[in-house]
Amino acid sequence: MALSKEELVEFIYDMVLKAQGKKQLKAMDLQKAVLKAHPDQDKTMVKFAIKELIDTGRCVYTYFGGSFVEIPHEEGAAKH
Amino acid sequence: MSDTPLLDQLESGPWPSFVKDLKRVAARKPAAKDLLKQLDRSYKDKITHWKHGGIVGVLGYGSGIIGRYSDLPDEFPGVEHFHTIRVNQPSGWFYTTQALRDLCDIWDRHGSSILNVHGSTGDMIFLGTTTDELEPTFAELTAKGWDLGGSGSAMRTPSCCVGKARCEYSCYDTMDFCYEMTQEFQFDMHRPSFPYKFKIKCSGCPNDCVAAVARADLSVIGVWKDDIRIDQAAVAAYHAGEIKPRGGGSPYAKLDVKADVTDLCPTACMSFDGKKLAIDNKNCNHCMHCISLMPQALRVGTDTGATLLLGSHAPILEGAQMSWVIVPFTEMEPPYDNIKELIANIHEWWSENGKNRERVGELMLRLGMRNFFKSVGLEPPSQTVRTPRANPFFFWHAEDFEAEAAGRKYIKI
Amino acid sequence: MAERITDIGPPKYDKFLPPVIKENYGKWKYHEILEPGVLMHVSESGAKVYSVRGGAARLVTTDLVKELCDIADKFCDGYLRFTSRNNVEFLLTDQGKIAGVKDACKKMGVPIGATGHSVSNIVHTQGWVHCHTPAIDASGIVKSVMDDLFDYFGSHKLPAQVRIALACCLNMCGAVHCSDIAILGIHRTAPKVNHDRLRHLCEIPTTIAACPTGAIRPHPDKSIKSVVVNEERCMYCGNCYTMCPALPVFDSEKGGVALLVGGKVSNSKTPPMFSKLAVPYLPNNPPRWPEVVQAIRKIITKYAEGANKWERVGEWVERIGWEKFFEVCDIPFTFQHIDDYRWAYDTYRTSMHFKF
Repeated sequence: MALSKEELVEFIYDMVLKAQGKKQLKAMDLQKAVLKAHPDQDKTMVKFAIKELIDTGRCVYTYFGGSFVEIPHEEGAAKH
Repeated sequence: MSDTPLLDQLESGPWPSFVKDLKRVAARKPAAKDLLKQLDRSYKDKITHWKHGGIVGVLGYGSGIIGRYSDLPDEFPGVEHFHTIRVNQPSGWFYTTQALRDLCDIWDRHGSSILNVHGSTGDMIFLGTTTDELEPTFAELTAKGWDLGGSGSAMRTPSCCVGKARCEYSCYDTMDFCYEMTQEFQFDMHRPSFPYKFKIKCSGCPNDCVAAVARADLSVIGVWKDDIRIDQAAVAAYHAGEIKPRGGGSPYAKLDVKADVTDLCPTACMSFDGKKLAIDNKNCNHCMHCISLMPQALRVGTDTGATLLLGSHAPILEGAQMSWVIVPFTEMEPPYDNIKELIANIHEWWSENGKNRERVGELMLRLGMRNFFKSVGLEPPSQTVRTPRANPFFFWHAEDFEAEAAGRKYIKI
Repeated sequence: MAERITDIGPPKYDKFLPPVIKENYGKWKYHEILEPGVLMHVSESGAKVYSVRGGAARLVTTDLVKELCDIADKFCDGYLRFTSRNNVEFLLTDQGKIAGVKDACKKMGVPIGATGHSVSNIVHTQGWVHCHTPAIDASGIVKSVMDDLFDYFGSHKLPAQVRIALACCLNMCGAVHCSDIAILGIHRTAPKVNHDRLRHLCEIPTTIAACPTGAIRPHPDKSIKSVVVNEERCMYCGNCYTMCPALPVFDSEKGGVALLVGGKVSNSKTPPMFSKLAVPYLPNNPPRWPEVVQAIRKIITKYAEGANKWERVGEWVERIGWEKFFEVCDIPFTFQHIDDYRWAYDTYRTSMHFKF
């Protein structure tokens, strides 16, 4: 069954959190995972759920050769 | 003793010296001063001293900021953070001095005062500021009507040639099309959600002054379908040496219309009998050689539009590709809804199937052109290939048999 | 947060167009190049616009941009533009002002040229000024090469235009692969793993995932908590260093410059062409890279001598044959010249059409 907007945001946040340090997820990976678990979910809602996570600062986009959605953290290059 | 003995050697010579220019700013900006010192160190060590920063950005965007950190922050504290900001350029790189001065003032207040006019993507590049200055810079830019360009796995800043603003060759309004596409895809420019980068470059004619065919996932190149317009009197004037070839931009004072133009026509579709130039326009492949040589005598036709080509990228990873023809001709009328729709279809197909860091041109090779054409809803035009296949490994699908039984040439798309 | 402005895109271009451009938009009829660096475009209406084109280093300061603005304020009613090759253009309606603009540019040190059969400004990447994976600097080599070719910038002496581009590593941000002459920074050795720093700075799974050729594996000794690089698979792209600063790909002695030759993007006469490997390696020799400067001068000199009228570098080389190109330019042919990557077979000679 499709998730509500709030549930969807938390579902995605959980995925990003669990992957932290192990696998970098792209926005499309998140969308595919949502649709696998909830085939009736509206794709546009996924897009805006990610936007909400980014706009509130709970997640950030990162770029390491490709662009990913991650939990904010201090990166290696910023350390001395 | 100078801080930058090696760089100092680049102050002499006739070409403008970036070292001289940067030194002026170094006198008032510690970041610029340390940049020169670190660069001099690189000249000595023969290696770079930068590290990539992949997290810094402005709130809400995943594009437009490239993080940089010095790997010698203790020696060069002024460049410990030295992040880049991509500022989306106006179409055709036209500015008023007022607008440019505003941009410079913003950068003087918040950054190193060093910039690229312009970067490879077409954006104006502000080089070097700290993490703390990113939001204030962004706020000032947007307040003045500017925005950030694309970076990362996103729609990149579209760019275009000067087009109809100042070029008689331009077969469509490149500046307007570029602006419209930039506005249409703002969400995708700032929120990187694609497998990899996606670039649109717009050239007004087959001379391709923005190198669209080489470096844009979608290359939009202007073309005409009807006849080259001829002014026979001007042809005669060229032949008589009254007008210099190529607008006067070559070492050759006088044009021999036969030897220089018609004999070099790649399709041999032109002839010149000493008086009159004849063109078999049906066999012209619009290479532009004759027009470039005789701009006062020949003009592109009036039934104009663009060819859409897809797939080019630099050699990473499978080797460089140039874009190839997917739509031989499309009219270019605002608001360009047909093209916006096609681009959205391409994005969807690519996002669905592409691997991380796989450009759309690479995906087309991996999955095949049939898959691509069907998925985005295009008929395969014969112009899409230079030659058909030479091998016998072609296969048939149920839908081909259905088409055959129904007396259709192709499957219905 | 309400006041935060996002997703507005750039200002609309028409705000920045000088009146003569606005009035004659889409009406241009023909152009002439009055002298190197000075164009005249004539409209169907009879209106004329004169463009004075000047070269600047792509890497500039706000001081320099403001000086360009001063010239535009004085002569061009406050309008100016830039080209796809980092040149600046001052647009005039009064032919009498051309001399004034040229004079002001001269005072500023901005050379006039880049039209017709010239060597225009070199488009280039960031190099040691700002990039984290370059083998070479960009601005310094460009300055050195342009100092040497300066005479070609402000003249129309060549058989056709010559477009030079520089990319400081094989990622080719500048997409230099279709240039008459491409200057390319090359790494020739795999990254060196700093195990101590890696453990401290980097995530191992994401570092492994960053390699496009799958050349990075976890270190077999699990207690080391690091990675190893399969050097035979590495193609020196530096993406692992992008992810993890403990994997530098640089080698101060082995890094250097390659030259690729004969590319173009225009469709004039022949289709667009890729640049092909001419010189596999030249030493990385700051601050003036004399070996690179000399090699480029030699290629351009031989091209100017040998090419037919209107022939681009690539058209000239294709006509005489690459074996002749190597001979006239005194470039030794090596294993590196023979393609052994993905689509190599396309480049092997399968005819008797060659020369001794």
